[in-house]
Amino acid sequence: MAESDSSAPRLAMIGIVCVSLFASLLVRLWYLQMIDTSSQQLLANGVNLRVVHTEGTRGRILDRNGKVLVDNRISIVVEIDRTRIKANSAVQRTNEFDDLAQVLTSFKFPTKGPVIQDRYDDKRYGPLELVPIQSDVTADVELYLAEHAERFPGVVVRRVAVRTYPYGKLAAHIVGYVGQINDKELANKEEQLGRANDPSRPKTDREHRTYAGGDEIGKSGVEATYESDLRGVPSDKTIQVDARGDYVRTVTEASPAGGDDVWLSIDIDLQALAEQRLGDRLSGLRNTVGKDGRPLNAPQGSVVILDPQNGSIMAMASFPTYDPSQLVNGIDSQLWDRLNDKSAGQPLFNWALQGTYAPGSTFKLFSGTAGLESGFLGTGSNVYQDGGSYKVTNCKGGKCEFRNSGGNRYGQVDISRALTVSSDVFFYWIGDQLWQGRDRFGEDAIQKVAATYGLGTATGVALPGEGDGRLPTPAMRREQNQKNPKAFPNSNWYAGDNLNTSIGQGDVLVTPLQLADAYATFANGGTRYQPLIVSKVTRPKDLGLDPRDPDNYELVRTEDPKVVGNVTYTGDHYQRLLTGLQGVVTNGSGTANSAWAANRTAWPMAGKTGTAQVNGKADTSVFVAFGPSPAAEPPKYAISVIIPESGFGADVSAPLAFGIMKDVSNNTVPATVSDADRARWDTAVAKALATAAANPTTTTTTVPPTVPGDTAPGQLPTSTVDPALTAPPAVDPTRTSLPR
Amino acid sequence: MITMPSGHKLRNRDMTAAWRHVDVTLLALVAATTIFGSIMVFSATRHSDSPYTFITKHVIYVIVGVAVMAVAAALDYQKLRDWSRLIYVGSVAALGAVLIPGVGSVHKNIRAWFDVGPFQIQPAEFAKIATIVTVASYLGSVLDRVGFREMFVSLVLLGLPMGLILLQPDLGTTLVFVVVGVGLMVVGGIPARYLIVLLLLGLGGVVGILKSNTLDQYQKDRLTSFVTPEKASEKAIYNTRQAQLAIASGSLTGKGLFDGPQTKGGFVPEQQTDFIFTVPGEELGFLGSGLLVVLLGGIVYRIWRTAQLARDPVGRLMCVGVLCMIVFHVFENVGMNLGIMPVTGIPLPFVSYGGSSTITTFAAMGLVMNVHMRRFA
Repeated sequence: MAESDSSAPRLAMIGIVCVSLFASLLVRLWYLQMIDTSSQQLLANGVNLRVVHTEGTRGRILDRNGKVLVDNRISIVVEIDRTRIKANSAVQRTNEFDDLAQVLTSFKFPTKGPVIQDRYDDKRYGPLELVPIQSDVTADVELYLAEHAERFPGVVVRRVAVRTYPYGKLAAHIVGYVGQINDKELANKEEQLGRANDPSRPKTDREHRTYAGGDEIGKSGVEATYESDLRGVPSDKTIQVDARGDYVRTVTEASPAGGDDVWLSIDIDLQALAEQRLGDRLSGLRNTVGKDGRPLNAPQGSVVILDPQNGSIMAMASFPTYDPSQLVNGIDSQLWDRLNDKSAGQPLFNWALQGTYAPGSTFKLFSGTAGLESGFLGTGSNVYQDGGSYKVTNCKGGKCEFRNSGGNRYGQVDISRALTVSSDVFFYWIGDQLWQGRDRFGEDAIQKVAATYGLGTATGVALPGEGDGRLPTPAMRREQNQKNPKAFPNSNWYAGDNLNTSIGQGDVLVTPLQLADAYATFANGGTRYQPLIVSKVTRPKDLGLDPRDPDNYELVRTEDPKVVGNVTYTGDHYQRLLTGLQGVVTNGSGTANSAWAANRTAWPMAGKTGTAQVNGKADTSVFVAFGPSPAAEPPKYAISVIIPESGFGADVSAPLAFGIMKDVSNNTVPATVSDADRARWDTAVAKALATAAANPTTTTTTVPPTVPGDTAPGQLPTSTVDPALTAPPAVDPTRTSLPR
Repeated sequence: MITMPSGHKLRNRDMTAAWRHVDVTLLALVAATTIFGSIMVFSATRHSDSPYTFITKHVIYVIVGVAVMAVAAALDYQKLRDWSRLIYVGSVAALGAVLIPGVGSVHKNIRAWFDVGPFQIQPAEFAKIATIVTVASYLGSVLDRVGFREMFVSLVLLGLPMGLILLQPDLGTTLVFVVVGVGLMVVGGIPARYLIVLLLLGLGGVVGILKSNTLDQYQKDRLTSFVTPEKASEKAIYNTRQAQLAIASGSLTGKGLFDGPQTKGGFVPEQQTDFIFTVPGEELGFLGSGLLVVLLGGIVYRIWRTAQLARDPVGRLMCVGVLCMIVFHVFENVGMNLGIMPVTGIPLPFVSYGGSSTITTFAAMGLVMNVHMRRFA
């Protein structure tokens, strides 16, 4: 131990060094915290304020019975904030992207640097928008990127609430979808709110839901039209920064609040039934050939069911449909093209209100009303001898003779009989005579009446993109010709135009929603309601509680029925029209009688078939009805079905409508099961089976477990709903008994 | 039957006796500081959407560290001396391997980690212990007078891992080796005249390195920002400014635990690792952060005391190596938080979040306890 002589003093020396080092630390600490006030002054003197923005969770969308159709879940997303790395060199960025791709790939989210680069360069994202790279990453990735933040200066990892759809594709067109606010929408919102950084306005009131880049906004459906209710209240935390822009302190802090829940007027069970039946019917039609030899493409179709007593939409099906969950984390251009592909029927379109079609003979209710209310049909008892064709009065050239479709002759017909058998000749007569007597009746007697039923203008339902349809008038034709003589060389309206209009041909176009609302107007005696898609808006007290219990929410407001017009009927005109429409279904010679006969247990309804001719294509099949009628009670349902390129109204749309209404009549609309309920149900069954298996004394008569909510398992096997659409549990009825 | 007390049995009794001489004071200080540190890590990391992720991992690291400490204390350090060559060769091999692209992974421009699942292992941290054990074993076992030859061998033993770590390039850890090496050579008996020459050569070397291109620009920035703040990069200034602001705002009693605005706002960069000291500084004020310095000082005192009590030079030098390592870590880390030392990525022992450094610190404590337990053997 040669060094022993020197080791003791040297160790002591090291001790002294240690003591002095620790002492200097304590002295410096004392100085910084207790003596030096310059740092505190720096904190106090900073005057620049900045706002840090956090979004509130969006409200949910529920059906009329409180079933949650659109909910939220947490998704961890990796995004690029361009503003942070725009100053970096291209090489630095490429390195970062390659590094990020490598990390994501190692966590089983395979990607490549150039892919991230492409996203970064994608012009669809504005300069302030965050560019999504990977959504739904695991917490591992989040932690890794947080631990190595310095390596990824442009990367932002956020936990965001994203939309989830417990009922899958159901009601996709109605609920719509959300997406990141784009720069244009952002500018619009800023303008609407009139807030260019106005600090005097409170930042948290609900009327003042400010937007920032990267925020979510409703893009279509109720998500868009009820944006101001659904959107959560963002919190704007004000922080103080010094002259250099460095954080100094937090001035005000606020927590974001959730948005309000929106209750639809839709009944999801009925919606599921309508969507499934419509989809099945269209699939069955496609690639078949119609009676006239033309191919039935049936590219799209829609069913609208509303309550005639208040205009509430109970179901609105549009086919083809799409899966809104695919749009949750942004849409790539490939998917966007697919959703707007004309040859695929444009799945993103809500044909029930965006599609416009010739109404065909369903228009006869309106021309019939015009014939009666104009006084032309006298008290209503005027009859016409239908010999199968009609010759226009004083015809000078052009087409002078108009024939019944199929060349049928109906003999002597009055208005009721004409509606029941769908005599074209009778309505040609009305159209011609009203035109010939235009000095007395006015040149647009039919159109004026049709307009009181709501045709020619959008209904104003709270859904975006609604079509106006078209109600052509002589004045409209003159105007078009004046404005653009090349495109519209014809300025004259002829008798033949009036004849075509009277049977819903020519240029007349309606949306399925307009048609349903028009017949609902008739059904309730002439009060036209604006169709309602939302019944109320509520503010949940606790998202974990059952939304159906009124104790669990505050009512924000109800959307009350709104009367937007009236149709008046004098004398016994209403009864004559009603008799005619009832005969369509109940009379043996009615055009929809066979459709009802095939669904004998369905309520009788009053309605009208339509078969609209479209140039060069198969006919549009139309049916619209309300019911029960005749019945002691006022009708509770109005239904319209329009399917283009599918043949006769009596053959396609009418049977489809009766098929749906049969289940409504018999109260056998199958309960639709959400994914969550199905999972709970499966768990319950598995548990019961496990319990039973563990306890062999239990006999085979195990009672199936009940599921919370309204999905009693006993009902489930009776479900006829297509599993792909509504996802009911694939239940083998024998599963509820024990295996021996 | 009469049984003679066998040597075997006696050794057994010695083994159990060793545990009776455990330094309870040191153990208590380590426990108190670690608990204090864990609360600080939690405070620094709880303001995220998953507040328990970091603290859970940290607690796992501490548990592993305590297990490693127990093992390091249980094996007689004489055995460690016998195995020191193997330990040394292994750690140098690991340092070499980590430099191979594809084997070692690069974080923050330093190729210093082996990725093992979700964890990263930093061989340089373990090399500290290995080198302390090796150099202490070598110098402590010299029978003759310590001279030039011993100094040269020690420099080679220290230089090899240092050079490999400098290649990563990890300046902070290299500096730890410098300090540890100086301490071991001073107490190990290298004559004063050699040490003075070494000191002069070292100073020349530092100036030479700063002038040459051995260091990356950011490393130079960090070092020079301390001397010439106006020339430093925005980032380097931002880090130290935020740290000092946070600490200064603490005053005597602090803003209250979990209530520091800078901490809550996440405005101090890498707060759970390099700048962990800002948490007690801001939230607990001078009383809390001063207490932490005192606790760390207490640990250092117990290590120093163990070095004094050690039964042989090998044990004494092991303690001195650990002492220098801990002191340098504490002074450099707290010093950079307080703005009196340049910014290097050196964690605060017992407090900073981080697996390799936590386990290494506990292993070092195990070594000191080992020496303390066997001071009479």
